[in-house]
Amino acid sequence: MKRYIIKRLLLIFLTLFGLITVVFLISRVAPGDPARLAAGPDATEEMVEVMRKEFGLDRPLIVQYLSYFKGLASGNLGRSIRTRHNVIDDLVQFFPATFELTVFSLLLAVVLAIPLGVLCAVYRDRFLDHAARVFSVSGMALPMFWLALMLQLFLALKFDFLPLGGRLGLLTEPPTKITHLYLVDSLLTGNWAVFKDALRHILLPAFVLCFPALASIIRVNRAEMLEVLSRDFIVSARAHGISKIRTIGQYALKNALIPTMTMIGLRYGWMLGGTILVETVFDWPGIGLYAVQSAVYSDFQPIIGVTLLIGINFMVANLIIDLIYGILDPRVRYE
Amino acid sequence: MRSKKWCLMFVADIGVIFLLSGMSQTLEIRDGKKILVYGARQPAPNIDPSQYYDWSTRMLQQSLYDALLKYVDSPPKVIPWLATNWEASPDAKVWTFHLVKNAKFHNGDPLTAEAVKFSFERTLKIKKGPAWMLLDVLTPEGIKVVDDYTIQFTLNQPYAPFETVLPWWYIMNPKVVMAHEKDGDMGQEWMKDGDAGSGPFKKKRWEHGVLYELEAVADYWRGWENPNHIDGYIFKLIREASSQRIAIQKGECDIVEGISPEDFDLVAKMPGIYVSNDPGLTTFGIKMNNQKGYTKDINIRKAICYAFDYDSLIKIYNGNAILEDSPFPIGLKGHISLKDKIYRQDLQKAKEYMEKAGYPNGGFELEYVYVQGLEEERKMGLVLIDNLGKLGIKVKMVPLTWPNMVARGSKVDTSPDMIAIFATPVFNDPDVVAYQYHKNSWGKYYGTAHYNNPEVWKLTEQARVIADFDERMKYYEQIQNMILEDAPEVFGMQYNRRWAFRDYVKGFVFCPMRFTGEIDMYPIYIQK
Amino acid sequence: MKQKSIPMYAEHANTSGFWTQWKEEHESFFRDVRLSFYLFSRSPLSLIGMVLVGAFFLIALIGPWIVPYPEDATGAVHMSQKLTAPGSQFWFGTDEMGRDVFTRVILGTRVSLKIGLIIICAAMGIGVPLGITAGYVGGWVNETIMRITDIFLAIPGLILALAIIGALGPGITNSMIALSLVWWPGYVRLVQGKTLSLKEESFIEAALSVGAGRARIIFLHILPNCTSPIIVKASMDMGMSILAAAGLGFIGVGAQPPAPEWGAMISIARNYLPNWWWYALFPGLAIFVTVLGFNLLGDGFRDILDPQSRGYYRE
Repeated sequence: MKRYIIKRLLLIFLTLFGLITVVFLISRVAPGDPARLAAGPDATEEMVEVMRKEFGLDRPLIVQYLSYFKGLASGNLGRSIRTRHNVIDDLVQFFPATFELTVFSLLLAVVLAIPLGVLCAVYRDRFLDHAARVFSVSGMALPMFWLALMLQLFLALKFDFLPLGGRLGLLTEPPTKITHLYLVDSLLTGNWAVFKDALRHILLPAFVLCFPALASIIRVNRAEMLEVLSRDFIVSARAHGISKIRTIGQYALKNALIPTMTMIGLRYGWMLGGTILVETVFDWPGIGLYAVQSAVYSDFQPIIGVTLLIGINFMVANLIIDLIYGILDPRVRYE
Repeated sequence: MRSKKWCLMFVADIGVIFLLSGMSQTLEIRDGKKILVYGARQPAPNIDPSQYYDWSTRMLQQSLYDALLKYVDSPPKVIPWLATNWEASPDAKVWTFHLVKNAKFHNGDPLTAEAVKFSFERTLKIKKGPAWMLLDVLTPEGIKVVDDYTIQFTLNQPYAPFETVLPWWYIMNPKVVMAHEKDGDMGQEWMKDGDAGSGPFKKKRWEHGVLYELEAVADYWRGWENPNHIDGYIFKLIREASSQRIAIQKGECDIVEGISPEDFDLVAKMPGIYVSNDPGLTTFGIKMNNQKGYTKDINIRKAICYAFDYDSLIKIYNGNAILEDSPFPIGLKGHISLKDKIYRQDLQKAKEYMEKAGYPNGGFELEYVYVQGLEEERKMGLVLIDNLGKLGIKVKMVPLTWPNMVARGSKVDTSPDMIAIFATPVFNDPDVVAYQYHKNSWGKYYGTAHYNNPEVWKLTEQARVIADFDERMKYYEQIQNMILEDAPEVFGMQYNRRWAFRDYVKGFVFCPMRFTGEIDMYPIYIQK
Repeated sequence: MKQKSIPMYAEHANTSGFWTQWKEEHESFFRDVRLSFYLFSRSPLSLIGMVLVGAFFLIALIGPWIVPYPEDATGAVHMSQKLTAPGSQFWFGTDEMGRDVFTRVILGTRVSLKIGLIIICAAMGIGVPLGITAGYVGGWVNETIMRITDIFLAIPGLILALAIIGALGPGITNSMIALSLVWWPGYVRLVQGKTLSLKEESFIEAALSVGAGRARIIFLHILPNCTSPIIVKASMDMGMSILAAAGLGFIGVGAQPPAPEWGAMISIARNYLPNWWWYALFPGLAIFVTVLGFNLLGDGFRDILDPQSRGYYRE
């Protein structure tokens, strides 16, 4: 097990190294002149030169590349030309918002999808099952950004039901920063009003973000349940007079959850990708929005930073899921 | 029966959502203070007056800092601010300013000539932000403290527009700035988010990417004119134009900028909202590459000028724009109207010029480069496709990010055939626009046409060193005529500056010298 | 798993009975096809998918001849009729430049079809050869290819695509390049896995033992046996790539005006919500219906061609 983890971690490092190289090379293809942007529209050539030096853009590519790794070792990811802050500071500031959104959305998906998946399996080929199939197939086909706009149109604009965007109301002071997750912080500090406000703000974006995930989790859960339900021990459990609900809840679901977990872990990474669209629509101040704005400005250090951060998240989540899988299912052996 | 349990779960979910709805937000008054919310689309990541400016940044700078002089009103005029009065030598080389005696910084330090000297030196040395305005004419050695409340600038060369630049050079507290110096950076790192000013507002809450909150300085040295002045304001980032509109409509914001022309018209009709509508100085033009490709030929350029449907520019702004009638913006000091000579749509003439150029049926393609995501520029490109199609010219629309666009425009060889440029004169003097056609402006965003007329350049150089304005005017009249004749660009329009206000927001003073969304918050007050 | 029978000794056949014999030899194949059609026609969702995709191709083909204002998709503007509500003259209303939204939505099928086909072909063009090479050659070649693949799979595609476009600049071509670059690793994984398992099969060993060359084995034995999963994946990916390209268009880095791309249309239309709702509604519906069609079709294909994975969704 230990060896397995070390091997996986090594692989993660190797992959990250490759990822940085790929993105770094891509970024230097860009024809633009970031220094000019930083210097402002009216800057003279001399002023642009000052900026170029400051951002280290006057050095040869290979030196920039090596110094990026050197900086990385000390937690320095370079500076954003657009925000003029260190990328690492920006990430620290924006990531909690994305993390909160993604995790909340994942929880929402689980809460909605697992019962539905179970029901579909239990009432196989009945109306609910068909309805859920149609729903999940169309869930994958709905453009997330469009769904977001339509929900905004109806829930926020027409009926004034939920706020349009943002993380908190304008005048709501954010809770004391402990975890930087507003929902958690406001609960920890017992700030009920802020909690409600944060919850109202997160519902729409989280729902949109989990929509495609819902589809796949329902399907996997349903298939696994069907598999388990046909096994001997379930049949014998029923034969021994254990109630159906108990059989399903206690025996079948537990076994079916293992593969579902894998799917959920995978989904975490995909959701991080989806934040690009969802955060853009809902003006959610996270790293997805940060990445989009940086891309539009040809501001590359932040893009590399976001790519790295999401890559790490993605891979570590997969590793954790694999490990949990092993704990839940003793048949799995790590090599 | 058995599914009831599951169903209950869903009902519970939906119930939570219902419970949460129906809350509404009240703004304006918090703890008895009048806090105004300004909805803006552009963040202000660096508020150091020596390092950077754009409209959002400068709006905050104007609140936090004071300058020697200040721009107010429309047409714009320069009024005394930190300086009570000033005199210039007859050759416009030596300028002496007398300061007010009661000005003090936010930490209580008095604002003296020493601070003025420090601030100017800092900007000149750092060479960022507004430095370009004076880099050619002023060196740190030319700044002299005469006494605590008198400062003298000796310029390298006569420069008549000097006083029109000064409102953008804010005065910083040397003690605060230098206390945060790190590795000889003159406090640059700290000043990005720092406050070393003396202005009517001071920094309160700074959440990058979300909002900036400022609070009024109760004992501001200049005092407050209206007892109902705001006690602070929140500069709230709302990136989507449609969200901006909703925010003003619902009263979540008290002032918003940058919503679409259609939406402005819409909210103007709503109760409780008024929309300001004032002619701006920002010009829109389509600069053509004067030295390369098809547009090198003046006949092609003129054909394009005659083919363009100028009225559609007005339509894009729903009537809230005026067409330019000279290379200089209407309303700028030194502008003259060339109504009879300016290009207007005339397909007959356009075709004649195409014939003259040797392309009676067109048959070539031109690039139109514009800034990614700028709605109006995109629309104008669509108009261009339609119009030039009639001359047999195909138009390819190329959206670029701002830095990529400027990078392409910086060299004759890569500068696109046509490029959409909004340009705002930074100070109120004809020189600022005339100089955009000078060789020294080649490669800057407003110099992408690479306009080539040494005669115009010579006149521009001569005009800027003359002290007497009437004398200078003769030059500028000639310059405007000559540039128009050369048709280096499609002279477009000037759109009106518009903001939507809740009706209790009073005291707004429009000044076209400020940038697109920038409002001076000092005179604003609330009256319900 | 179906394997094509190998007519190794078919040359000895009597020419007069060729047809009958050929039929006999391929009996299992025909049975498969018949079964597939039967299964397919039994699944209403797959049929719906088939109809939607068929309609999509048809509309893409004849679009320019059935729309009322074809010039509206190529750059004409009519400022005087901007933002007209849907009605008899403009079925889906007009946009901010007075162009007919119906025309642009219909002609948008061509743009999307082009995007989808190019991305999938490019992704297959890179992914399939690499996958076969990795799986067949094995050893360090396999290691190298799979590690590089892992790099691209280590991060959600949209993020990487955004990074690539950030460098190349916005535009429809660049977004197709970017999406192709993030799409191929899926095919490498798929084909490599398949090749690995096929390599162990006895019919490959048989072919090897009678002296079949490497190229022959790859092209005649391995590739044909990879087609079913590739077809399933491609038809699913067709929808997904259209969706991704629309997403990029929505962010503003994808297709550029005046091209009538659905995502880009929505991106502009959102500024006109909620009062001019039709502008955002119809392009979104078009994306939904198209992607739904391809997903259902792919789902149907999988049920038939790749029965083991029935019930799972592509990931």
